[in-house]
Amino acid sequence: MIRNYLKLAFRNLWKERTFTALNVVGLTAAFSVAFLLCTYALFELSYDKFHENNSSIYQVYTNSETPQGMESSISNPVPFADALRAEVPGIENITRIMTGGSSIILDDKSFSISATWADRDFFKMFSFPVVKGSRDKILQDKNAAVITEHAAKRFYGEENPVGKTFVLLQDGEQSPVTITAVVKDFPDNSSMAFDVVFNFKNLPNRVYGDNLDRWDRHNHEVYIQLENGINPEAFEKSTIAFTSLHYGGDINDAKRDGAQPNADGLYQQIKLLPLTDINFTSISNGILEVDKTMHYLILGIALLIIFIASVNFINMSIGKGTKRLKEIGMRKTLGASKKQLFFQFWGESMLVFVGSLLFAYGIALLLLPSFQELFRTKATFSAFANPAIIVAAVASFLIITLVAGGYPALLMSRLETLQALKGKLQVTGKNYVRDVLMIVQFSIAIVLISGTLVLWNQLDYLRSKDLGFNKDQVIAVPLKSTKDPEKLMQLLRDELSSKPNILSITAANNILGMGKDRSRSTSVLGFEYEGREVKTNMLSVDFDYPETLDIHLVAGRTHNRAYAADSLSVVINESMAKQFDVENPLDIVVDLDVAKFNVIGVVKDYNFQDLNQSIEPLTLFMNNDAIMRYAYIKVAPGNLQASYNTVKSAWETIEPDHEFIGSFLDENIDRTLMKERYMTTMISSGSVLAIVLSCIGLFAISLLVVAQRRKEIGIRKVVGASISTITVLLTKDFLKLVAIAFVIAAPLAYYFANQWLQGYTYRIDLSIWIFGAAGLIALFIAILTISVRTIAAAVANPVDSLKTE
Amino acid sequence: MITITDLEKYYATEEVRTVALNKLSFTVNEGEFVAIMGPSGCGKSTLLNILGLLDDPDGGSFLFNGIEVAGFNERKRADLRKHNIGFVFQSFNLIDELTVFENVELPLIYTGVKTAERKQRVEEVLEKMQIMHRRKHFPQQLSGGQQQRVAVARAVVNKPKLILADEPTGNLDSSNGNEVMDLLTELNAAGTTIIMVTHSEHDAKYSHRIIRMLDGQKVTENILSDYKSKVEV
Repeated sequence: MIRNYLKLAFRNLWKERTFTALNVVGLTAAFSVAFLLCTYALFELSYDKFHENNSSIYQVYTNSETPQGMESSISNPVPFADALRAEVPGIENITRIMTGGSSIILDDKSFSISATWADRDFFKMFSFPVVKGSRDKILQDKNAAVITEHAAKRFYGEENPVGKTFVLLQDGEQSPVTITAVVKDFPDNSSMAFDVVFNFKNLPNRVYGDNLDRWDRHNHEVYIQLENGINPEAFEKSTIAFTSLHYGGDINDAKRDGAQPNADGLYQQIKLLPLTDINFTSISNGILEVDKTMHYLILGIALLIIFIASVNFINMSIGKGTKRLKEIGMRKTLGASKKQLFFQFWGESMLVFVGSLLFAYGIALLLLPSFQELFRTKATFSAFANPAIIVAAVASFLIITLVAGGYPALLMSRLETLQALKGKLQVTGKNYVRDVLMIVQFSIAIVLISGTLVLWNQLDYLRSKDLGFNKDQVIAVPLKSTKDPEKLMQLLRDELSSKPNILSITAANNILGMGKDRSRSTSVLGFEYEGREVKTNMLSVDFDYPETLDIHLVAGRTHNRAYAADSLSVVINESMAKQFDVENPLDIVVDLDVAKFNVIGVVKDYNFQDLNQSIEPLTLFMNNDAIMRYAYIKVAPGNLQASYNTVKSAWETIEPDHEFIGSFLDENIDRTLMKERYMTTMISSGSVLAIVLSCIGLFAISLLVVAQRRKEIGIRKVVGASISTITVLLTKDFLKLVAIAFVIAAPLAYYFANQWLQGYTYRIDLSIWIFGAAGLIALFIAILTISVRTIAAAVANPVDSLKTE
Repeated sequence: MITITDLEKYYATEEVRTVALNKLSFTVNEGEFVAIMGPSGCGKSTLLNILGLLDDPDGGSFLFNGIEVAGFNERKRADLRKHNIGFVFQSFNLIDELTVFENVELPLIYTGVKTAERKQRVEEVLEKMQIMHRRKHFPQQLSGGQQQRVAVARAVVNKPKLILADEPTGNLDSSNGNEVMDLLTELNAAGTTIIMVTHSEHDAKYSHRIIRMLDGQKVTENILSDYKSKVEV
């Protein structure tokens, strides 16, 4: 019996090869894209879930009320962790964590490493299994270090590193460190990444030793593991007394400055962020936000694409079914039961689905490397290697085949024997199910096209927005070198200043946008000014900073070599000036603990942070001690590539051992728009696929409809209908569906686009034409698709179509 | 074998009610070969569909082997049908995607006959119909006469007690038509009851009895030969 079905299935699929091919191509495309998208989303959503204790580990952060609103901070003071453990019950483990790049010296060779400083509990909380050395005494001594297998191999080759010592370079001082254990390399979906873990107490005095009793210097992160059965909300509540005890001064300042308490009447609240949410966390306009929307959106797009392909399958199966009425009738006459017929037709669908799934797997496998590169992800199909996900994937596949293959099978198995035998289908007039499915399909396509257009526009807007500085002509060069930055800057100036295409050179301790070194920092300073707290972002700059970057000066002057005392002068931006709230900002003297600083100039606000943030107060210092991390070089307009090469070769002359990683600032800004770019790429490829698949479906339906109406077309032609009236007649019904889809999709697309744009401080105005254009694109492609078949049918000789009856 | 009494069937649309069978009564005995004749629209095909358990009457009684089958649901009808009745259609109704062998095999699959026995029985009947050499061909590769012989083979492979033939020669030329009629006569001679709907006086002469219908009613009945004497002989 089964062999009989299989044989028949293959013959039928072969006989209807056009439809089979359309279905297989559509389903394969949908499945392979869905594979890749799900791989990406599942991988991202699996971040940090490999830790056995993932459900009880949290990062500690603090929400503070300020006169400007709430601000979140993940930084804590040095005595915080020990005090919290001693004073608030419910903590199983707690660790302070500091991360950063560092240098070590090993047998006279220097290595740059990615380092983490942590307390002993670190290895009790997190699942980084020890493969060599002892777990008991891990990080017990101040000079202990734990390295990963990868780092062990890099430093020592095949030798056992446990017990070996090397030198850690920190703030120009050397301290010997002993390796006590080697841990297994962390998986790709770990948000913590390190080569070496040092004892937190081994941090330089500037960070650790000097701050043992300082509750006002926040410089590291803290993670806790709650005891079994402790609820995070309850724990947060139980820290209220702790907060008022240790942060009483801050709270009083906030009250004095006019901050409003939160809904619970608090000015400062310790909060817990689940470990598995950390990968999705960002601080936007001061507030910590967990946002998994993009990942669920990607899963959603995968589902929509499969839905569209399945709709095609359903519509084609039902359409084709009319050609098999005689067979169904005859089988029923000979005694086939409904069940037997259902399984026969469903089996045929399964063949197509399973075949497409296998093809799709192969294609996804081929595309995976390019996909990984395009979206900078390490996601692999191992993201699926989780029993729950496998069960869910198999179940969804079965459900999809059951619905897409089973619905037409059910319809056909339930046909009346006699009617089937006569080749008449009871539902002659309207085909509501088909029409509704096609409307949904086109609605999805139109929503996705609109989404793509909105994303393109927004991305273009952000890219071309005037940021208040010259991003086209300035090259930023990270000063990654073993040379002293000051000396390096001098060498760069010497090498470049005589070149005609170099206009100006300066330096700063922070980057604009994101450089190729992918590192950047935020320094915020709070101080008292006339009895209230004022906060500002700090930037240490070299001479000519505003001039090099074409930042507009609105009052006063900038730092100048002619003024000897300018290391005690600061330049502020307009937001900062506004915060001081005085008539003439140039009269302001800022009294910091170390010295008094005169405000000598005000520059126009410029976007020194990401574009999803509004411009915060900023103060430019010109402190001689500050370490410059980036050189900014303004080049002449015109041949930018040649100028870039000039800078590059200068660097290579000065620093032959370190790669040149300079880039124009517009590239740096682009790098900060990575999320938007990925989203645009994913949604636009999703919408291209959605429209292609919808058109495959439309094409197939037009084939069937034209075949069904062949006689009608013949008769109409005989009685005098022209080719154009017949084409219009055949096309009209389909276009009605697209029009209805547009009416449904446009408001939905508007709503979603508007919601999404709310997340941006700088955003485009949504105009009607975006949605109109999406509708027109869909309509145009639909007309093109249908015309292929309808025009051919309209042109055909009516004698041929009438003869067949 | 078959006794129908006051059988009624209507076709109703929103405005018109058409009477297809109007209190029709007759009996067909086991081993008989009956031809039903009448102009288009007289109810012949409706009658045949009801007799073949493909359709349900709206009134009257239908005894099949002494069992009242009027009002049977589709499941029960299908069960009775697949064990007792074979069909031969004017347009053959072979499944294009199946070979000759597979088409004939189909009824045996649905009655649950084992593979080995199926093969033997299909080959037997194909031999008998002299189309064994064509068993791997598909219907479109055969002439009309050959196709109808395959259809007859399919109808008899399950050894039904009754064969219903709807214009079996309607799509055939005269020589192929005669061959098919000879086949049916042979089957009847071997004991199978046959009821045939036809327009052709020539074909009707192969039967024992002709029932003529008009507007859903029986008008005349001519007995051509005494089937009992044949059977008894």
